[in-house]
Amino acid sequence: MQPPPISFWHRAQQIPRHYIYLLLAAVVVWQLLFPIRLPIAPSVATRGVYDAIAAVPDDQLILISTDWDASTEAETAPQTQTVIEACFQLKKRFCIMNLSPPMGVKLAHDIAQKTAARYGASYGVDWCNWGYKYGYDNVLMAIAKNIPKAIGGDFYGKPVSSLPMMEGVKDVKSIGLVVEITGLSGLTEMWIGLIQGPYRVPFASAYTAVMAPGYYPFLDSGQIKGMLVGAKGAAEMEVLVKRPGKATDIMNVQSWAHVLIIALILVGNAGYVLARVRAGGRER
Amino acid sequence: MNPELYILWATAIATLGIYTILYRENPISRLFEHIFVGLSAGYLVASTWTLNLEGKWWRPMVTERHWYWIFAPIVGLLFYFIYSRRLVWLARLVMGLFFGTAAGYLFREFFPIYSPQLYACFKPLRPGAGLGWAVLNNWLFVIIVLTVMTYFFFSIPHEGRIGRPLGRSSLLGRWFLMIAFGAMFGNTVMARMSLFIGRVRFLLTDWLGHYLPWLAGRGL
Amino acid sequence: MAHLFDPARTTHALILYLAAALVASFLLLLALHRLLGPRGRRWLVVLVTFVGGLFFGLEWFYPAHGQPSKNFLTDWIEPVSNMLAVVGAFTVGLGIYSLTQVHGRNVLRRRIGWHNSAAFFLAMVAMLVFTLWEHYLRLPQPTPKLVPWPKGVYEVLFNGIFMPLQAATFSLLAFYIASAAYRAFRIQTAEAGLMMAAAFIVMLGQVPFGAWLTSALPEVGSPLAFFRLEKLGEWVMSWLNTPAQRGITFGIAVGALAMSLRIWLSLERGTFFSEQS
Repeated sequence: MQPPPISFWHRAQQIPRHYIYLLLAAVVVWQLLFPIRLPIAPSVATRGVYDAIAAVPDDQLILISTDWDASTEAETAPQTQTVIEACFQLKKRFCIMNLSPPMGVKLAHDIAQKTAARYGASYGVDWCNWGYKYGYDNVLMAIAKNIPKAIGGDFYGKPVSSLPMMEGVKDVKSIGLVVEITGLSGLTEMWIGLIQGPYRVPFASAYTAVMAPGYYPFLDSGQIKGMLVGAKGAAEMEVLVKRPGKATDIMNVQSWAHVLIIALILVGNAGYVLARVRAGGRER
Repeated sequence: MNPELYILWATAIATLGIYTILYRENPISRLFEHIFVGLSAGYLVASTWTLNLEGKWWRPMVTERHWYWIFAPIVGLLFYFIYSRRLVWLARLVMGLFFGTAAGYLFREFFPIYSPQLYACFKPLRPGAGLGWAVLNNWLFVIIVLTVMTYFFFSIPHEGRIGRPLGRSSLLGRWFLMIAFGAMFGNTVMARMSLFIGRVRFLLTDWLGHYLPWLAGRGL
Repeated sequence: MAHLFDPARTTHALILYLAAALVASFLLLLALHRLLGPRGRRWLVVLVTFVGGLFFGLEWFYPAHGQPSKNFLTDWIEPVSNMLAVVGAFTVGLGIYSLTQVHGRNVLRRRIGWHNSAAFFLAMVAMLVFTLWEHYLRLPQPTPKLVPWPKGVYEVLFNGIFMPLQAATFSLLAFYIASAAYRAFRIQTAEAGLMMAAAFIVMLGQVPFGAWLTSALPEVGSPLAFFRLEKLGEWVMSWLNTPAQRGITFGIAVGALAMSLRIWLSLERGTFFSEQS
């Protein structure tokens, strides 16, 4: 057990963690109940995703790989929502699939179903779900050569080749854009190494904010056409598709959460520095 | 049956049950953790069958009568010999196959992934051609890449005619790395906060908002 | 030989072929186990590892001809990849077996907290049963609001318990990062100060509040526009973070390539090759 703090500045470094938790919760609840709405402007990276979707030819599909689950839902669900909205608004046919983890494909499916109902889109004609396919590189290699055999059954267990929109879809040449939405590292490298690089298929992505800094080099080299960064990217995409939603709510609150973190760091450091100055002064 | 109300309450109870751990370790949060692991395990098995094996293995083997698919479970089940001391080498056989194929994949993927990265380092460094201030950015870019790479050269000591400049370059690389780590920390904070904000948003606007409409209307 | 892998014509033929394949595989594995000593087994594992890597690597590097360009291995890529993907799917039981062992022991020996392990089994079986049941109900799409009770139970288990538990567990990190940032982030050196400055710029630049703070600065057409927080944050990410990440990536790439070569050639020791062999 620590000895009791000597001075105010020592105490400033030792605020009990429960008070910090309560402060964080209070800030979040306050902003959710009484939001201070500030404008959100789409960044260049987010526009890249929207423009990449718009540029897909009508005779090609968009493949949305929804490799996320509930652990990153607050960021990746709005990203998936906005990408699907953009596909429906721009009248692009798309397929969703999942390489890992398996629970993600149902979450993405639910989002696509609800959104499709709003646009009057039909499953199998305007969109479909290839389901969860275990195998990582093996699945991508197989998709590159023969999509119906690589995918087998869709989310409902029906042969994917029986869907109307899959007529004439043979291999990777039928895919006009891959959008990878994920919270897992390593999958992007597989897509770029096996699909984007060898077959020059345009690639866009949406990541959680944690992993996004590591993928800026791919954006710089042009291997990734556009990138959504966490809830911020999803909120910017909501501006582009003109449907503010969950991500915009989150970003309103995010500002104040960040201010709180900065304030806590400054208080902790102020306490540290001033306690040392005082201790140094007392010694003299 | 309309499961929506049950889902709403189950979600709220599960969320609050996990949050009890913020006070301290307690039986409620431990119970929910075990339930979580159980649900995860059950879903993994079920979805492996429904979303994978049924369409890609069972149907080709049984319905389309491609008999050679029987070799898939024979090879796949070799993994389970890891639990046998006498026959563990059979598990190593199939693990070796997967390790080898993973290495093969890296050989295929290496150039498509990393050669564009290498090309993109060669940015125009000569002023002019309408670049303006961008040329300074390009110089900074190249300097950062080179100094960060020298930070990871551990086989040359930082002494002598070659080592000392390398040491200084490595020091500069370390400074730039700290900037990158600061950026990563900022992004990490944003990600973690988003997760919590998403949960609180559900509790307020979806759960409590179901009974208090003015709460549901606070969102968009 | 070319027709050996054709589909079986009848169900009886299929059963015969499956049985023959099972018996032949069993006899082959038995023969290998009996005939090969420890050295032989090690060499077989090395050979299989090498062939596995050689197939995919060679197909990439071997000259390709024709339109579409391919070599003698290209047509085998798709069936081999599909087969490997299915083989890998059978490993799902490894983790389940491990979990069952640990929690099963807790329940059978009535250890402290055994009721948690019982809850684990109940949750696992319930999720397995209702996921399969829901799948084979083959409900019409889109699903109606009123659904059969197994589908309702599945939705409660998945959307009501499983997903919220996962989301809530990971959302705890927000509290921990707030507490850790407050306690551990001390600027004791200039480098730490640099890291903190970059963190503050990015944290404020990513959120609307940061853009509002510097909204008085012109957006375009002036050098002061660079100091708008959202532009400054973007500049830090694109021009300071990106090259540093690329330097790190090159180091990782070379390391990964070297490691892959060592694994492919079975030069690695440790968990893969036990000390006995």
